Amino acid sequence: MAVQTIEVPLNRVEGDLEIRVAVEDGRVVDAWSAGTQFRGFERMLVGRAPLDGLVITPRICGLCSTSHLYVASRALDQLAGVTPPPDAIRVRNIALLVENLQSDMRHAFLLFGADFVNAAYEGQPLYEEARRRYAPLAGSAAVAALRATRKILEIVAILGGQWPHSSFMVPGGVASAVGPIEFLQCRHVLARFRHYYETDVLGCALERIAELKSSADLDAWLDEAPAHRDSELGFYLRFARAAGFERMGKGHGNFVSGGSLDIPEGSAVQAQGGGRQLVPAGFLSSDGAGSVFDQREVAEHIAHSWFTGYEGGMHPSTGVTEPYATGAEGDRYSWAKAPRYAGQPAEVGPLAELLLAGHPLLQALVAEQQGPNVFVRHLARLLRAAAMLPAMETWLAELGKDAGGLVLHGVKMRDGEGIGLGAAARGMLGHWLRVEAGRISRYQVIPPTAWNGSPRDSGNVRGPWEQALCGTPVEDLDNPVAIGHVVRSFDPCLVCTVHALDAGNGKPHGRIRI
Amino acid sequence: MAVTLYWMQAGGCSGDSMSLLNANSPDLLEILQELDVDLLWHSSLSVANRTSQRALLERLQSGEQRLDVLCVEGAVIRGPGGTGMYDTLHGQAKKNLIWALAHKAKHVIAIGTCASHGGISARGDVEGTGLQYHGRKRGGFLGEDFVAGCGLPVVNLPGCPVHPSVVTQALSAVVHGATLDLDAWQAPTAWYGTTVHQGCTRNEYHEYRVEEREFGEKGCMFFHMGCNGPLVRGPCNKLLWNGRSSKTRVGVPCFGCTDPDFPKSFPFFQTRNIEGLPIDLPDGINRAHYLAYKGMAAAAAPERLKGRESNI
Repeated sequence: MAVQTIEVPLNRVEGDLEIRVAVEDGRVVDAWSAGTQFRGFERMLVGRAPLDGLVITPRICGLCSTSHLYVASRALDQLAGVTPPPDAIRVRNIALLVENLQSDMRHAFLLFGADFVNAAYEGQPLYEEARRRYAPLAGSAAVAALRATRKILEIVAILGGQWPHSSFMVPGGVASAVGPIEFLQCRHVLARFRHYYETDVLGCALERIAELKSSADLDAWLDEAPAHRDSELGFYLRFARAAGFERMGKGHGNFVSGGSLDIPEGSAVQAQGGGRQLVPAGFLSSDGAGSVFDQREVAEHIAHSWFTGYEGGMHPSTGVTEPYATGAEGDRYSWAKAPRYAGQPAEVGPLAELLLAGHPLLQALVAEQQGPNVFVRHLARLLRAAAMLPAMETWLAELGKDAGGLVLHGVKMRDGEGIGLGAAARGMLGHWLRVEAGRISRYQVIPPTAWNGSPRDSGNVRGPWEQALCGTPVEDLDNPVAIGHVVRSFDPCLVCTVHALDAGNGKPHGRIRI
Repeated sequence: MAVTLYWMQAGGCSGDSMSLLNANSPDLLEILQELDVDLLWHSSLSVANRTSQRALLERLQSGEQRLDVLCVEGAVIRGPGGTGMYDTLHGQAKKNLIWALAHKAKHVIAIGTCASHGGISARGDVEGTGLQYHGRKRGGFLGEDFVAGCGLPVVNLPGCPVHPSVVTQALSAVVHGATLDLDAWQAPTAWYGTTVHQGCTRNEYHEYRVEEREFGEKGCMFFHMGCNGPLVRGPCNKLLWNGRSSKTRVGVPCFGCTDPDFPKSFPFFQTRNIEGLPIDLPDGINRAHYLAYKGMAAAAAPERLKGRESNI
């Protein structure tokens, strides 16, 4: 059968993304991921005051503005040569995690889950139940997630004024004039989130989930109680099994994390292996070998991106962002650059971070299933809250006991370089900043979706979800639902629309949203 | 008959949509239901159906599908060189689609500062502009003379992001045919007829000019920390954010995100001043009188404020 190239219509993705796949004998044989919007933030910052990144960079993304603020403030801490007091680190960590967890829930129940009611599943045994839970704007899971996420974001507003787009993290700490009464309010809000998460999402206590160490444990858990089976997690396990999520979206199998969530001095929260950060930094290669993360190994390629000015890869502290819009001609097809770690594509996100943190269940599943896939990638997103809520509760309870306050006074900016790294909801986020003569002379940002959704690099190697798409079954060219599962398992922060083209004559083949 | 609404995301960060998900009483689902809104398209919420967005767009452009409300979030991207190819849909510049839909819609609402005035998207290389303003200059993408089907120009709901209750309340007003008084920037006075300063819990410190000079202090941030609260319009301290607080209450200066000139080109975290006196003063104020008044106010400041005993 001839190869057909189709452009896949994905909605419910933030930003602008178009996916093109080549299909042969009902399987994807090649894929191209194109970011179709250029925004030019990095050049906007040049010439501005060092602290201005705290206001400009959160506005790169309305979904993860607190994450941008978090890494921007870390880059400035480094530039100023200061370490924020322990309580400031707690406040920053809590706010970042709130953003991560609400994003996980919104993605799972408003975006990813809506594919369960795709017409491709009509008539399947779980379809009616899927509709009750996931019908867009109406399903029980969608409505509950909307309410729970709105609620937990109150914590960011209590600590930082508003969500999204506050600028309360500043070099040396947080600008917030908050105290014990505010911290207590946050604890009550977080308690409501735990209640929602345990009741609706898990169907059991966090502690029970922490006991699961293998796929056999997970299967036993599912059958253990009706509450497990009827929870969103239980439904996900049942649906994923029926739809074959374990067999979709393998990809390169490399993972990277730049580390996130410093453990504040004197905290009872312990990181895996006594590390300094709750989310460890590291690189995991597809052969199972782990290595220490070194940000100098990060390089961005532009051979297939609409940029010009250099060949090969360049480190973000020296790279340039010079747009070069050639449209559909030649090799260039995306406004995303192609970041690589030690020359290799790598996926970022909750799965990468929890594997590096030694999450027993996810490690076992990846080992048993010989690499990542849609099932485990999305499961990691559903289970991140279980892994993070205890630390959030501890940090909230510890707030106010340290005498160091929430911000250092007299912090002075100086010329030099600063690097900020952290874990946004979708994975590693990095800011590389240089200040000369008191002004920003360079600012480079690598967001998580640049990693996951990157185009090919200088060596013509596919980006993570391009690779993960290869082998995906396409039963209906007009409704390639599995392609949506694969791309959405990375939690893409982009918008896609679709038309299908017959490769032979270029005429529209048919269109559909998935 | 259901009210048809198309939500177009243009050059922006989706922050207005994300903020809208936080709307409460009514929340987004409730308002759509109560107003009987048929949400034809929203890139993050759309109800899946078998009609593609492209076919829908064709029906909208031909007039076969009625369009009651067009909401545009984000700036209109015109770069590079006026082609609009920095922001495309189906390989075509999205700006052309915005033009076409705006000329079919009964109401056109600019969601957020980027759509209203260009905002942050007008500051970079992408040649972004607002629907009917470019910064303070009327015209923007659609031109000075543009009026939507209802006879009104673009209704601007600025803010970065716009407050979610402003969006739900404005939709309610449009659907119910309530009169919206628009200010000089085509923003409804119902929400933009007050300054961000109004309702700030630091007002007493402002009144007596007890100034904050370091992050985390209790004091007014207008004189040194770059706060725009007294200078710009917006409901931040009237409606509050996420039902809880506001940046200025917590201790983050207002950056003037509803202002046509947002983001300003000078540093955010310091007040432009001459000899310690702010250059930018609230609208309509006589500079000499204001400075005399503030000097006297500072002299009259009670000890409890000078000693930062008053809570915020």
